[in-house]
Amino acid sequence: MSDSLPLATSLIYQIGATTAFLFLAAVGLVIILGMMNIINLAHGELMMMGAYSATIAFHQGLPFWFAVIVSFFVVAIFGAIMELTIIRRFYGRELGALVVTWGVSLMLGQGTFLIFGPFMPAIKIPGGSFSYGDFSFSVYWIVLMGVSALLILALWLVYNRTTYGLQAKATMQNAEMARSLGVPTKRIYTLTFALGAGLAGLSGALLAPTATIAPFMGQQFVAPAFITVVVGGGANVISGAVGSGVLLAVIKTPIGMALGAFSGTVALLVAALIIIRIMPDGISARLQRLFDRRMQKRQTS
Amino acid sequence: MTDKDKTPSKSVITNHTEEGSGGPVMPRRTFFKAAGITAGALAAPMVLPKIKRAKAADGPIKIGHIEDLSGNLAVYGVQKYHAAQLAVKEINEGKMLKGGPVGAGGLGAMGNFAAKPPIMAEGKGDVNIVDDGGDRSNSGMGFIEDEDVLVDSGEKGLLGRKVELLGPDGQSNNNIWQQLTRRLIQEDEVDVLVAGFTSAEREAIRPIVDQHKQLYFYTNQYEGGVADSNTFCTGAICEQQVIPVVDYMIKRFGPRVYTIAADYNFGQLTAAWTKAFAPLVGGEIIEEEFVPLSVSDFTTSIARIQQAKPDWVFTLLVGSNQSNYYPQAAAAGLDYPMASTVNMAQGYEHRRFDAPSLNRMFNCVNYIEEIPTTRNRAFVKRWYEMFPEDPYIGQMAQNTYFSVHLYALAVRLAGTTDQEAVKLALESGLSIEAPEGAVFLEPSTHHCSHYIRLATADEKHQVSFVREWPSIQPWWLQRVGVNLVRHKEYKQYIPDEDPFFSMFQKG
Repeated sequence: MSDSLPLATSLIYQIGATTAFLFLAAVGLVIILGMMNIINLAHGELMMMGAYSATIAFHQGLPFWFAVIVSFFVVAIFGAIMELTIIRRFYGRELGALVVTWGVSLMLGQGTFLIFGPFMPAIKIPGGSFSYGDFSFSVYWIVLMGVSALLILALWLVYNRTTYGLQAKATMQNAEMARSLGVPTKRIYTLTFALGAGLAGLSGALLAPTATIAPFMGQQFVAPAFITVVVGGGANVISGAVGSGVLLAVIKTPIGMALGAFSGTVALLVAALIIIRIMPDGISARLQRLFDRRMQKRQTS
Repeated sequence: MTDKDKTPSKSVITNHTEEGSGGPVMPRRTFFKAAGITAGALAAPMVLPKIKRAKAADGPIKIGHIEDLSGNLAVYGVQKYHAAQLAVKEINEGKMLKGGPVGAGGLGAMGNFAAKPPIMAEGKGDVNIVDDGGDRSNSGMGFIEDEDVLVDSGEKGLLGRKVELLGPDGQSNNNIWQQLTRRLIQEDEVDVLVAGFTSAEREAIRPIVDQHKQLYFYTNQYEGGVADSNTFCTGAICEQQVIPVVDYMIKRFGPRVYTIAADYNFGQLTAAWTKAFAPLVGGEIIEEEFVPLSVSDFTTSIARIQQAKPDWVFTLLVGSNQSNYYPQAAAAGLDYPMASTVNMAQGYEHRRFDAPSLNRMFNCVNYIEEIPTTRNRAFVKRWYEMFPEDPYIGQMAQNTYFSVHLYALAVRLAGTTDQEAVKLALESGLSIEAPEGAVFLEPSTHHCSHYIRLATADEKHQVSFVREWPSIQPWWLQRVGVNLVRHKEYKQYIPDEDPFFSMFQKG
């Protein structure tokens, strides 16, 4: 018992940390791919920009959490400019958007390399660690789990309690109808893309202390982000991303713990493959159907 | 780079056009005794049979150099490119590294210092400390004061010709590496190719190199085993890095080893070396974990290590994703001693990460910028005069630097840039005084003996040296029977082909 309790705690901590990692990697993409249906291959570079903004702000002497907020606005403004100049021309042309965002990602990565060189000084991970049994735990990862939960709550509030959220949902569902009802759809698109970019920047800044700050650091987040968003599906993007993050972490962690990082990664990919095969619309569509059916039952009974 | 005074010396040219037409053949041993490093060495082709004429007798000597100047591996590639630029500039300005043929007998005869047994004092008593800039901060260090090794070569350029560096960008993409290799060999007709960071890049271009019998230098530290008549591997290999560090770690910290390694040929083969060698010095690999290169979240690996409770951790992690391990492990309170063959000297993690992420990291390196010797301080100074913006000089940058000078030495010895003749000259037992110390190119395996130092970082990330071995031979390929002087080969041996490895593993 004294042996298994620390192990169980460690497993829960690991699942939480992996979920937070997947969710943070995906959160910007959730908005841009999940809502706007833009396959944004520059997602990793937006996260990299967030990490760079935070690193520069931090080494200018700003407190870390303030630097994180700064990076949200820096990358959101960059996202707005990107939408106004480039992305705007590619709505409804998914493959065109894919190629153009890939081009943007190459320019951002190499441009950063030319301007800032191969590495930036690191940000020391805030908070210490504590141990329990054989295992020790990083305070910062526990904070990241809390921040992820706060982000989920904030997004839910934005999309369900604000006028912008209502208009954004309307625009994404049927832009023409929304426009005829007086919704400024162009501005909604810009705002939504800026929000997605800003969230990518924010999570890049949050993950920056745990990562190497380098021009091509964004690439490590791209695959987990796409897997999380696609497994989550598009019916309700935020709950989908949360659901798929938790599910993938629950599959990956015990297998990784028992058999090593290689097997853990394989398990995650196989799980994603199976989920997409049996639920082509992702977890959120399945959840939505369950929810609808229960609502129907309640209404009929 | 620009240098107005590059007119070749006429006398040197005439000296060379007379050579290669036969003449009395001097016995090798006599010759090597007589051969100096300047004019005397230039007469060497006499002893080398069947010299063909160089392809182009005039025009510049072309050094083809491929490294990743963009993409994920650019952090290493730019360093290596700068190293080649520095070496070429020095050659064109009439400088050379000391060195010369010492014959098959090895380094003893020609090196500035004779090899000596490892310094085996126990504990921390013999720690020599240099500060962040590499300057001495403590007196009484065990290193040998040495003079600078860059001397006048007697001519600007090489054989009266200017040396030109062709350095296209491999873009961290193996397909582009293959295209560039073909272009450099077939269109540019380079006289020598210096290229390759990862083992995957090397294996992608080696078939093309062999197809054209191109003289090729691979300058990275790597897993060892390449026995290729056209390839000269000037980086350190497992028997030079793994064995001394594993021996030290087991004696100092204990026998239980946890290996966490990058999941590709470098990580797998280096881990195999560790597994084979650890039992011989009383160690035991309690767990081996291979991590895909894309992994950047190490939460689970950290918990696994804590569960296994090793005495120390052998980290063979490669690339910027995997270097996230160090801050994450430090933040999770993981404070086991660590050993590696790649970190610090290659990706300067001790400069990039906040202390104490790399506290108690031990690595056997053949070069690290902080080496306190006079010759290295002079090299570091020359480097930063040419590239003041550079963040660090890594191990493989130094390898590229001395390899280009080694090529110049061999060309002077051969008296021609004809590639077969230069290969023969390289196989004559050359030694060169590199910034690390004396390096001997072992003829039968085309690998180098190195001056190996055991470097470690403390909790403030200050580098100190706890052991040094002035000359460790690359012996493993000899043991499996490779002799490239007598018998041409074009393959890479792996530990599985050596029956001794499986015998070790059974204990």
